[in-house]
Amino acid sequence: MSKYLLKRLFWMVPLLVGISLISFLIMHLAPGDITTTEAGFNPKTSQESRQKLREMYNLDKPLLVQYGMWLKRMSTLDFGRSFASHQRPVFWQVTDDKGNVTKGMIQEALPITLLINILSLSLILVVALPLGVVSALTQNRLPDRTITLFVFIGFAIPGFWLALILMYWTGVMHNWLPISGMHSLGYENLGTWGQFVDFMKHLLLPVLISALSGLAGISLFVRNGMLDVLHQDFITTARAKGLPESQVVFRHALRNALLPLITILGLAIPGLIGGSVIAESIFAIPGMGKLFYDAVLMRDFPVIMGILTIGSALTLLGNLIADLAYAWADPRVRRGVMQ
Amino acid sequence: MKQTMTKALSNPLALCGFLIIATILLLALFAPLIAPYDPNAINVKAILLSPSSAHYMGTDGLGRDVWSRMLYGARISLLVGIVAVGIATLIGVVLGALAGFYRGWVDIFIMRMVDVMLSIPTFFLILAVIAFLTPSIWNIMIVIGLTSWMGVTRLVRAEFLSLRNREFVMASQTLGARDFRLIFTHLLPNSLTPVIVSSVLGVASAVLVESGLSFLGLGVQAPQASWGNILTDGKEYIQFAWWLSLFPGLAILITVLGYNLLGEGLRDVFDPRSSKTNL
Repeated sequence: MSKYLLKRLFWMVPLLVGISLISFLIMHLAPGDITTTEAGFNPKTSQESRQKLREMYNLDKPLLVQYGMWLKRMSTLDFGRSFASHQRPVFWQVTDDKGNVTKGMIQEALPITLLINILSLSLILVVALPLGVVSALTQNRLPDRTITLFVFIGFAIPGFWLALILMYWTGVMHNWLPISGMHSLGYENLGTWGQFVDFMKHLLLPVLISALSGLAGISLFVRNGMLDVLHQDFITTARAKGLPESQVVFRHALRNALLPLITILGLAIPGLIGGSVIAESIFAIPGMGKLFYDAVLMRDFPVIMGILTIGSALTLLGNLIADLAYAWADPRVRRGVMQ
Repeated sequence: MKQTMTKALSNPLALCGFLIIATILLLALFAPLIAPYDPNAINVKAILLSPSSAHYMGTDGLGRDVWSRMLYGARISLLVGIVAVGIATLIGVVLGALAGFYRGWVDIFIMRMVDVMLSIPTFFLILAVIAFLTPSIWNIMIVIGLTSWMGVTRLVRAEFLSLRNREFVMASQTLGARDFRLIFTHLLPNSLTPVIVSSVLGVASAVLVESGLSFLGLGVQAPQASWGNILTDGKEYIQFAWWLSLFPGLAILITVLGYNLLGEGLRDVFDPRSSKTNL
């Protein structure tokens, strides 16, 4: 197992190099120099901070040298400071000479996005698994067709549109749910339970919106996986030896149909992280997506680069965990891995 | 070919999707003839009128006719979707063919490139590129195309790998056919069906991405109409002008649904073994 892990970690190196290369090339896309106003750079930045940027990215040196130095900085997780938000550190907190701690922007935004994504992944699993199984067991009959219809609509519905409608319906028309932010006014005065309820109310719609397309995708995936497995010989054998149908479905079929789901969930991570832009900017949730969107609008270059790199690294990590989980869950793969 | 077409259109899913797409295509194509008003003509006397016989879908905050803007917006959605997927398919087919045909280090290099692209959150990548360029419809098509070729590459490569050792290819090779001929007359035509399906489904997601970008204000720029930016305008008036938010959203939904139905239907036709999706 550790040999497999080493091999996987080794393969991540060329990927990381590729990701850094693409991120590096993107910042050279802008016409002219990234520090000039012609490049659409935030006009508020002073001449001084532009000079700092030129030094930071060594723009006077040859491209290859620039890339090497940038890579060196990335490897120490130094993403510099934001232009737009009072020179805050992009990634992690720093302590100045007087001992004041300034929190990093990603440091504050990341936990929120992770929380929303974990909640929406849980929602996806809790809802999509039963839907997929029911759909497969009633193939081409009414429940299956109804579920498949919803799956198709779920794929096609634009998340931001549904977000607007739900926001209007639950927040403006009926006043059931708060329409933006993470906390209500007077949050500090609520008890622990009250704070929790308030927080969850704020998260409900964003989680629902980010789970939407995943819900459709995973239930279709579970359905097709179940159908594949149900037609295999060992299921016929299980039925032939007289096992009750529930045991055939849940012990023999479902367990096999769920295995590929681990990989799919791993692959879904970049979509979830990317999708957070729309949900978070509509509901004004201060997570990675909102941070990124604001940075794009203000051309806050260090923040854009930082989030792009951290987001990709998280995806790689997610895929690694998914592969390890697969190996752990499937004895056949585990065996192959060992050899 | 004709047989496949007939077969495809006898599949209810594919037919349904085809009809939806064809209708929207015609509406977009003849937008200048159908649209009752100039889509960008501001009319201060007709601000935020609700749908009526004069304005089928009402008017917006500047008194522009929403139905006319929707028709012109359809052009943007279809154009962006089709051109972006065209770019992605072209890149995907070339890279997939190279990887599957030459194998070895070419294959390893191309597949690592695919892995790299797959591990960067796509929407972030698109937004980052748009941030450094100016948001225009051409940039958007190119960026969506350049960030969505990985699926096609994998498909074409897999097809090539499995076709490469088939007898008819070996025979042609033994007779002295060059690589170019092998690829273009034997391998490529036989690996296109999954590519067609994935391209049709790809248009659906490109339409969603474009409308999302326009909604965020980073896509098609005003005054040019796009379904996404009509919705953004509508957001401001959602409390007293529901029509501004309802129609563009519905249009996106129906278009994406159409492409998805067509794609899934074609998959059923081309690959009867997997014919599972039935509505």
